[in-house]
Amino acid sequence: MLRGLYTAASGMMAQQRRHDTVTNNIANLNTPGFKAMNQATRAFPDMLVSAMGGDNMRSKPIGRLTLGAFAEENMMSMIQGDLMLTNRPQDLALMADLLVDGAVFDASGKYVDENGNVTFQPQAFFTVQGPDGQQHYTRNGSFRTAEDGTLLTAEGYAVLGVNGQPIQVNISWDQVYVDEAGVLYDRALGEQLPGNPQLLITVVNNPNDLVRHGSGTFQYMGDPAGIRQMAEGDRIQVQQGYLERSNVDPGQSMVDLMAAMRLYEANQRMIQTIDTSLGKAVNEIGKIG
Amino acid sequence: MNNSMITAAASMYSLQQKLDMIADNMANLNTAGYKRKTSVFEDLLTSVQPQEDAFLLAGRRTPPGFTQGWGARMSAMLLDLTQGTLQETGLESDLAIEGNALFQITVNGTTAYTRHGAFQLIPLPNGDRQLVTADGHAVQDEFGLDIIVPADYKLVVSSDGVMRGEGLPGTLPIELGRIGLVQVLKPELLRSIGDNLYGVSEGTDIAQVVQPLEEEAEGVSVRQGFIEQSNVDLTTEMADLIAVQRAYQLSARALASAEQMMSMANNLRG
Repeated sequence: MLRGLYTAASGMMAQQRRHDTVTNNIANLNTPGFKAMNQATRAFPDMLVSAMGGDNMRSKPIGRLTLGAFAEENMMSMIQGDLMLTNRPQDLALMADLLVDGAVFDASGKYVDENGNVTFQPQAFFTVQGPDGQQHYTRNGSFRTAEDGTLLTAEGYAVLGVNGQPIQVNISWDQVYVDEAGVLYDRALGEQLPGNPQLLITVVNNPNDLVRHGSGTFQYMGDPAGIRQMAEGDRIQVQQGYLERSNVDPGQSMVDLMAAMRLYEANQRMIQTIDTSLGKAVNEIGKIG
Repeated sequence: MNNSMITAAASMYSLQQKLDMIADNMANLNTAGYKRKTSVFEDLLTSVQPQEDAFLLAGRRTPPGFTQGWGARMSAMLLDLTQGTLQETGLESDLAIEGNALFQITVNGTTAYTRHGAFQLIPLPNGDRQLVTADGHAVQDEFGLDIIVPADYKLVVSSDGVMRGEGLPGTLPIELGRIGLVQVLKPELLRSIGDNLYGVSEGTDIAQVVQPLEEEAEGVSVRQGFIEQSNVDLTTEMADLIAVQRAYQLSARALASAEQMMSMANNLRG
């Protein structure tokens, strides 16, 4: 049997997954706080190929061969999205450009030092109470108010304050001013709201440890020591009346879409070619007349 | 099976909803007191295909599991209650609000709210005149009662909403109470009930949504002889329209390309 048949089939499946990922990015062009996904493909484990038979009947290694590829992981691109003015007082955007000692991050938020160690740029998130009671994180700051004054995400998860309790505002949001650190003030009185509410902004040291949960929320799956509350001096700003746009690049997405489709096609052609070879092997070898 | 198709179709549906909303806003460009609608999008459920620990190889960055999103949906439609521009009409029955407040109207025995201040004074059988909306619903004073202007008196509304009737020269003006105004606390809980009116859904505590405006409230004033124009800004809507249309187009391209891939799979044994 020609093993390339299955190799090409695995390539088709990997490209199909890539196409799905890009389609999802395109679908979320208008989703505030959305972070584009990039798919990584990995080769199947190596196998050693040996020559067998011949005159001396000793197996002789030829080299390594991998028998296909698979969609390994979907990584989030944590590039800051553009801010869009909405003038809605409950719309909050997070801008974060956190520094790590000695690291100069590239555009994708990664730094590789001389020894090859990779450092990722920490990212800041609003903290919300997920459906399971756990803390979830989000960059989608399009909030609304519940009947009892609790600040909710569009999906209905309570937005948490620094004390771990949901933020509650019982005056009209037109009168609320949110400063750059997420502290809520009464615009008319010029002082903090009763109870000194402040948004809980969580810094995640390695954003790759976040797992997407849908509805714009992420859950942290890494070492608990890798998250902390925003501290004084962090380069984080909360902007009231703005939303962070999706960071999906439509041009790049279109290119990725076409590439995935054509690579799928290439693998499909490969299967057809192998099929033709198999056809010859079955029908023409040993054919008489 | 073909996830791209599902994702693209689902998001085209939600973009269509946004297009409809923009069309609604544009159609109401000239509706007095109209408040534009805005929408919020969020990504749909993400599924995680489990992976065994053997997948945790060197160079991998994320925790085990292959996450996959399924498109986007419109999660909420919100009212943008920003101030519209005021247009002078000079009519005694035209009122406009500056600031965060709504007029109280009686509609079929229940209270509704509006910013549409193009009211009318319709004559009653005894010669008095009553303040009603353009559709004939009674405008309420601060106690929820009808506003009646006696015959031969002219309605004068001061900026704090206090109404007086001014009669013929030589007669003293009469007090007509204060027009009913409410402050909106949570605009998300207001429900549009058509005809430029807003109501509060049943089962929702009205006091949590709107509260009567205090007499000396800052930042709110009533202007007589003015009408508040729609707060739709054509430029913003057009920009939105272009963005949505292009996103729709891009999703359609993704759908077409997913369809081509399916066709390739079908033609494997060509």
